[in-house]
Amino acid sequence: MEWVKKLENKLSLEYIKQELLRTAFSTEKSFFTQLDPRILLAWYSYFAIVPWFIYEHVTLVGYLLFMILLTIIARVSPLILTVLSIGLAGEILLLGFIALFFGGDLSIVAPMFWLSIKLAVISLASVTVFSSINPEKFSDALLRFGVPAQFSFSVAYAYRILPTLLEEFQQIILSYRLRGLAPSKNGVLYFRKIYYYIMILIKSFYPLILNSAKRSRTTVEALEIKGFSYAAKDKRVLKMKTSYLQTSQMDWLFLLLTVCYVVIVHGLQLIF
Amino acid sequence: MTFRKPLIECRDLTFRYPGEEHFILKDLTCTIDEGEFLAIIGGNGSGKSTLCKAFNGLIPHFYVGDYMGQVKLDGVCTATTDVATLSQSIGYVYQDFQNQLLRPTAIEDACFMPLNYGLDDYKERGLWALEVTGLLDVQDEFIWRLSGGQQHLLALASAIAMRPKLLVIDEPIAQLDPHHAEQIYEVLKKLHTDYGITIIVIEHHTDFIANYCSHVMLLDEGKVLWKKETVGALNCVEDLLARNIFPPQVTQIAHSLQLAQPYPVTLQQAIQTFKTSPWKQQPTVHHLPTQSTPMVQLNNIELVYNQRQANNKLVLQNISLKLCQHEHIALVGNNGAGKSTLLKVIAGIVRPTSGQMYIREQLITKAAPEKLAQDVGFIFQNPEEMFIEDSVRKEISFYLKSRKVDNYEIHVDELLKTFELVDIQDQDARLLSGGQQRRVSLAIGAAMRPKILLLDEPTANLDIATKQHVLTLLKELKKYVQTIVIATHDMELVAEWSSRVVVLSNGRILADDTSERIFQNHSIMAAGHISAPQIVQLTTALEVPYCASVSLFIAGYLQQSERGVHVGMG
Repeated sequence: MEWVKKLENKLSLEYIKQELLRTAFSTEKSFFTQLDPRILLAWYSYFAIVPWFIYEHVTLVGYLLFMILLTIIARVSPLILTVLSIGLAGEILLLGFIALFFGGDLSIVAPMFWLSIKLAVISLASVTVFSSINPEKFSDALLRFGVPAQFSFSVAYAYRILPTLLEEFQQIILSYRLRGLAPSKNGVLYFRKIYYYIMILIKSFYPLILNSAKRSRTTVEALEIKGFSYAAKDKRVLKMKTSYLQTSQMDWLFLLLTVCYVVIVHGLQLIF
Repeated sequence: MTFRKPLIECRDLTFRYPGEEHFILKDLTCTIDEGEFLAIIGGNGSGKSTLCKAFNGLIPHFYVGDYMGQVKLDGVCTATTDVATLSQSIGYVYQDFQNQLLRPTAIEDACFMPLNYGLDDYKERGLWALEVTGLLDVQDEFIWRLSGGQQHLLALASAIAMRPKLLVIDEPIAQLDPHHAEQIYEVLKKLHTDYGITIIVIEHHTDFIANYCSHVMLLDEGKVLWKKETVGALNCVEDLLARNIFPPQVTQIAHSLQLAQPYPVTLQQAIQTFKTSPWKQQPTVHHLPTQSTPMVQLNNIELVYNQRQANNKLVLQNISLKLCQHEHIALVGNNGAGKSTLLKVIAGIVRPTSGQMYIREQLITKAAPEKLAQDVGFIFQNPEEMFIEDSVRKEISFYLKSRKVDNYEIHVDELLKTFELVDIQDQDARLLSGGQQRRVSLAIGAAMRPKILLLDEPTANLDIATKQHVLTLLKELKKYVQTIVIATHDMELVAEWSSRVVVLSNGRILADDTSERIFQNHSIMAAGHISAPQIVQLTTALEVPYCASVSLFIAGYLQQSERGVHVGMG
C-alpha cells in the first residue's frame, strides 16, 4: 500500500489549510479576479438557478463545457475539484443504490446521469465565482445591492476568522495526537486508523467552539470601539467604502460573450 | 509650571461585575492629565483592566454591573455618551490584540476606524499610522501572515489612525522578545513626544516603566493607593513588593543593601551608584561541562516551508545539535528565528525536509507524533490549545488513561498536589486565570512522563509573581524529566534556570554556550536580538563576577564588602 503512504504525505492538514485559504481569499490573479464582483454575482445568479429548469441534453452539455473552460481559466484548486467530484460520484452511487434496493432497474442510469451533469454545472459555476471573488469585494458588492451592513460585515468577518479557526483546529488535533494513542495496527483497509482520525476530528470541535466563543468577546468590543455601528447608520460612509467598485469594458464584454454563448447553445438545441 | 488640562477625571468610581460578590473598583478617584505617559500597576485582580475599560465607556455600556460615580473623558461624561462617539478620542489596544484585528489586510485594518467615522482622508490616516509603527512594507499583507510582533504593532496602528488624544494599552510587551519590546516602547515614545498623545499602559515590567514612563499609578483592591512620578514611585519598594510587583533588579539590590534613597531605577543610575562600591573581584568564566550521553541528536536538519510555492523559505538550516541528560537548555533568539519550529521538529510535529534525528540513538526522523510522545513531551505556548477535556483532572489523566497505565489516579493526585491544582481540579481549564492555566499545562506535561520535555514560552503573558512561581515549578519538573528544552524571550529565566543556551538567528545556530558566556558576547547578543537581564548588565559594567539573580549579587556583594572591611582593619 505504498500509495497510501504517498497520499498521507501529500494530504497533510497544512496542505488542506493552504488550499482552502488560497481559494477563499483568491490570492492568485486570474481573469475573474479582475471583474467587478457585482457583475460576477449577477452572472452567478443565472447559472445557479436556470440549469435546474433545463432538460435538453445538448444545452446541458453546452453549459457543462462552458463551465469546464471557465474553471480552467479561474485556476480552481485541485483539492476543491477532487472533493467536488467525490461528492458527485458518491451522490450517483447512493441514489443508484437506493433505486436498485427499492426494486428499480438499470433504466434509472440515464436520468441519474443528466441530473449529475446539472449538478456539475451549478457546482462548477459556484466554485469558479467564489474562488475568484475575495471576501472584501463580496461583502462590498452585497452592501451595494442594499443588504444590511451587519450582514455583509459578518460575511467578511467569517472569512477573516477562517484562518484563525483553521490554525486553532490544527493545534487542538495536535493536542489529541500528542497525548492520545494511535492504533498500533492499521486494520482492514486502514479501517482502525481512519476511525481513530475521524474520532479526533469530531472530538476537536468541542474545544474549538469553546475557544472561539471566548475570543469573540474582544472582537465584539473592538467592533464598537472602532466605530462600526457608527458607520452602519451612515449612508455616506457606505458610498466611500464601496466607491472603488467600478465596472469596466471587460465586465460588459464578459457578459456579452456569455449571452452569445448561451444563445448559441440554445439555438443548437433547436437544430438537433 | 505649565497648567495641564485633565483628560480623565474619575470621581468615586465604584463597579461590580454582574454575578460577582466583590466590588472590583471602590470609590476610585483619580485624574490623568494631558501629556502624561502613565503606567498603571497593581496585583492580580486590583482592577487595572476594569478601570481602563471605564475610560472608553465599555463600562458601563457593555458590562452591565453595579456602577456608581462618574468618569469624564476630555470633559465628556462617559455614562451618557455612547462608546462609538467616545472612541474618537481614545484608542484602546487589548491584551489579546489578535482578536481586535478585524480586516484581512494590514492597510484595511489601519483604515477601518477613520473610514467608519466617514473621514475623507481615511487612506492617508491609515498610511500615516502604518508609517509611525514601521509597517509600511507589509501594508498589503494578510494579517495572519504577520508575526506576533507585527500584529501587535498593527493593533496599535489601527488604534492611533484616528489620532486620539489618549491611547490605552493593556500589557504591551507580554509576548515579545526584548528587541521587539523595545521597538513597541520606542513607537509609544514617539507618539508621546512627537504627536502629543497621552499614553496609559498597564504594565508590570518595571524596567520599561523606569525607562519610558513619566508617572506611575498603583492600584490596590479597587482604589488608587498613590500616583507619583516614576522615580519616586519605584522607590516605594515595600509598597510594590507587598503587591507582588517587582521593582527593577537594580532597585531591588539597592533596597536590600539599604543604600541611601533615592534608589537607582535604571541601569545607568545603578552603574553610577555602584561605581564606588567596595566590591572588586576578577570575574572567572565558567565553560560548558563536558556532555554526558546524548538524549536527542540532530544532524544537519533543514526545513523548507511552502515547498510547492515560489516564495518558499528556509526556516531551519544546517541544525546539528546534541541534547544530553540532565541538561536544561534555553533556546533563544528573536520572534521568527525558528525556535518554535525547532521544538516542533524534535517533537515530531513538523518533519524536516532533510537531515536525521536520533532519540536515544534510534533514528526517528519519520515516526508519528503519537509514537514520539512516549519520549518527548511538548507544551504549547498558548495553554488553551492544550485543553481538550472539560476539567483539570481529566486533562491531566488523558494521556495516562489512553495508555491504560495502572493506578494512574494515584499519579494524577500527586501531580495535582505538586502543581497546586487540588482545589480547582473539577473546573474547566479554559476558565482559569493565566497563571493557573500555565500550571495545568505544566502538569499535563509532567503526566506524560517524557524523557525530554519541550516548552514553548512557558512564562509569556504572566505577571512577575506568577512567573516566579512557574520558575519554582520548572525546578520541580526536573524530578520527572531528564532533559528540558525551553524556547523563551525571558532572559531572567534564561539566566536563573538554564545550564546551556542555544541562540538561533534566521534558522541557524548562532551560539551554543553557558548563559554567562553568551551574555558577555556583545556581537552574538546583537545578532540574535537578545539582551542580558539588568543584573547581568550591571555585573558586566562593574567588572565583578557573573550573577544570574538579584540574590546572588547581594550575597556576593555582602561577602566581598565584609572581607574588604576585614582587610581594611588589618
